Amino acid sequence: MKVIKKMSMTMALIAASATAAFASGQQAEEISYYEPGASIESIVVDAAGKGQVGNWGLGNEYEVQALLTKYGQPTTYLSQAFDMDGFDDDSILLASAMTYNELGLVKNSYDGGYSYGEGVSYIDMNDEGVAMLEDNLFTTAAFAAENPETVKAFIYASMKGWAYACENPEEAAEIVFNYGSSVSPEHQAYMAEQVKKLVETDTMGNMVRDYGKMDEAAMAQTLELAKTYIKLEDSVAASALEAMSLEDVMDASYWEMAMGSSGAFSPEKSEVSIQLKWLPQSQFMGYYVALDKGFYEEVGLSVNIIPGGGDIGETTAVYTGQVDFGVTWVSNLIAANAGGMGLLEVAQVYQRSGLVLVYKTN
Amino acid sequence: MKNISMDREKISTILYPLMFGVFVIAMWQSEALHFLMGADTFTLPLPTRIFTILTENLPKVLLNTKATLMVAVGGLVLGSLLGYLLAIIASTFPKWGMGGLSVVSAFNAVPIIAIAPILNNLTKDFSRDPNIRSMLAKTLVVMITCTVSMSVNAYRGFTELKPFSEDLMHSLAANKWTIFTKLKVPNSVPYIFTALRVSVPASIISAMVSEYFAEYIIGVGRMIRENIVLAQYATAWAYIAAAFVIGITMYVLLLIFEGICMKGRRA
Amino acid sequence: MTRANKEKLTDIMVILVWVAGLIILWEIGATIIAQTKRTPANVLPHLSQIIESVFSDKMVSNKQTAWQIVISNAGITLWRAGLGFLIGVLTGFLLALFMRYFKAVEKTAFPYLMMIQMIPILGMAPIVLAITKDINKSRIMIAAILTFYPVATNTLAGLKSVEKEKLDLMHSLAASNWHIYTKLLLPSCVPYLFTGLKIAAPMAITASILVDTLQGSGGLGTMLSQSLKHAISIYVFWQIVFVSAFIGILSYKLMSVIEKLYSPHEKAKAAKS
Repeated sequence: MKVIKKMSMTMALIAASATAAFASGQQAEEISYYEPGASIESIVVDAAGKGQVGNWGLGNEYEVQALLTKYGQPTTYLSQAFDMDGFDDDSILLASAMTYNELGLVKNSYDGGYSYGEGVSYIDMNDEGVAMLEDNLFTTAAFAAENPETVKAFIYASMKGWAYACENPEEAAEIVFNYGSSVSPEHQAYMAEQVKKLVETDTMGNMVRDYGKMDEAAMAQTLELAKTYIKLEDSVAASALEAMSLEDVMDASYWEMAMGSSGAFSPEKSEVSIQLKWLPQSQFMGYYVALDKGFYEEVGLSVNIIPGGGDIGETTAVYTGQVDFGVTWVSNLIAANAGGMGLLEVAQVYQRSGLVLVYKTN
Repeated sequence: MKNISMDREKISTILYPLMFGVFVIAMWQSEALHFLMGADTFTLPLPTRIFTILTENLPKVLLNTKATLMVAVGGLVLGSLLGYLLAIIASTFPKWGMGGLSVVSAFNAVPIIAIAPILNNLTKDFSRDPNIRSMLAKTLVVMITCTVSMSVNAYRGFTELKPFSEDLMHSLAANKWTIFTKLKVPNSVPYIFTALRVSVPASIISAMVSEYFAEYIIGVGRMIRENIVLAQYATAWAYIAAAFVIGITMYVLLLIFEGICMKGRRA
Repeated sequence: MTRANKEKLTDIMVILVWVAGLIILWEIGATIIAQTKRTPANVLPHLSQIIESVFSDKMVSNKQTAWQIVISNAGITLWRAGLGFLIGVLTGFLLALFMRYFKAVEKTAFPYLMMIQMIPILGMAPIVLAITKDINKSRIMIAAILTFYPVATNTLAGLKSVEKEKLDLMHSLAASNWHIYTKLLLPSCVPYLFTGLKIAAPMAITASILVDTLQGSGGLGTMLSQSLKHAISIYVFWQIVFVSAFIGILSYKLMSVIEKLYSPHEKAKAAKS
């Protein structure tokens, strides 16, 4: 009986949806956005109260949840799709965006952009003290122990690539573009500029010249937030997360030795591969530059860059041995190690969080 | 004598797969399966571990199971009803109907991962509550998958009649309505079940895939994805097990229902 | 004009009218969306805009127009789908023979064949990856797993459809097992096999597009999600919607053509099964 009732209800819903779609045309109700000078707290409280804070989930939500907690709001959020359509059509008032990607699409008017220009403003996770570190360089603890020279050589050449890319972002964007990018050239150039900022500025806004440096304080904050907001249903993994310390996820010694070296290595394994977190784009320009400029060859490595961008994460790819190195967010690595993957961060490329919450202003 | 052999036949139908299942689970638990496949206990966790996670998180698992089930069943029922209706219309105007059905079946060739985002965007104005509007979007995706197989099969049920049966009805001066209810509808019953055997597994799979794209985060499929991306394979497997149970339960229910309906017909 | 030709012509006419109807529906929807949404191209663009994007020579990524991206990636997906399909068909067919020969195998395996279809691909993928250690092999294997079920079940149904009298006759003529298979069982299961193939072929393609999204490195699915993310033109997405449907239908038609070539005299029978 109950089932039948539910069924007929659903049917009524569907019939109504057709009319609703038509009616929406006439709605034309004026939604008021936020005043340019409004306090961050008032914006977060308002958007969270309406249940219109968006994030992609899938391990990208912790900083947003920390921000919501900071302003005394529940940590629930709407699932944001790949695109910014939800932000565009006002179903999401406070939308997650990466400075180098979605924020550019929202502001700019090139192909795929939403051309809001100065009509939007954003909340920066670094300023709010809830930043978690993102793109790093990692491998498995076992691989690092067995191939220390390879790891050092790879770090050395990659960081040389990053230094060059940050020096010449326009050229770097072009190099990435030639390696099979699926991003429009305008967006690629925008991305390179923004990524440079993330690589060369720390969470406090200070300049960083040691590319790939592992900032203990920022790493500790990342782990702290990860412990608070990563909710694992597996009790074994949950207690592993609880007990986790920085030594379980990172080892700075490879980076220190690599950067202190003269650039001569004797790699145990000379053919290596790196799995990116997404498809070829300026987000990973340092690696493409290192490959293109022959930095990897100089240290005796032959490198294969494998694009990511799917449901089999980079952590799984490195863990299964399909690839040797990977680029992931620190929080993803922490979650993976809580599950027992035994991964090890060997360099931290992005020095500050690139995540912002974007909102429209009146 | 004959009865006993019949029973033996029946017993082996249940016993063999059951024994095989027990055997596989034993191999799995003892890690012999991992050895054979070259897998490890991380990507393929032991059954006991999966079961522990299931029992420890039962309320959450049930909540997500319910969400997926509602979408799958809702879409299955709506899609099948719509498909049957389309088949009735098509068989009433066979000249136009057949062409319509082949055009409709083209929809099945569009992958779900392309349909789901389109419907998500189209249903945005339906409700202010993201849970309700994403339920609608997901149900519509499942509905589309189920409509096609039902309409094509039911159409065959209406048209592939026993030779001369329709002529016989005509000669008995039966009107169109009588022919439809007494001849065509009963004739379509086995075809309905053929369609459902395809639709039931398809409804669950498409419900889960559509959850990946839904605005509101809920459902077994979404949980599998969340946990795989977070490298929580044991938890992901707990949800895979939940999906499996939904699938098997719906399929067994269908078989029982089919058994009842078809038995009545044969007698 | 012969009667058959005339009938064929009306059939085509009917389909054209239906397609025209759908186009009108789409355009009504697109017109409403165009007036109510800020970025209508993301929700439902006009068909003319999609067609325009096909012929546009604007580079949307490095050195490729939207259409070139779609076509080159369709090639990658088709290649994987085709390979997976062939493997799936072969294993499915062999398994059906096996099940026909050993009753116990049939009883044991049959329920599990159905159950494998219930395991979500996403769950299956990491395990397959852990075994093959190669994402492209995994993709092909998953496409194979998903296609072999309809082939196996339909072939088995075909093998079982042989009337007992015919089998008895063969036995009474002291025909060898080999003869029974090649002269009686295999020919009679062909129409059923093709029914399975016609279901499996489009399925291999949709499955292949879905498993593209498991990781980067090309394929329609990868480009679809990249386009949805607006990293490249949204029209890549809309083109993929139509191209994937077209490929799916084409694969079905291809199976029908092969079927007719293989067994012209069985045409009538096959159409019914």
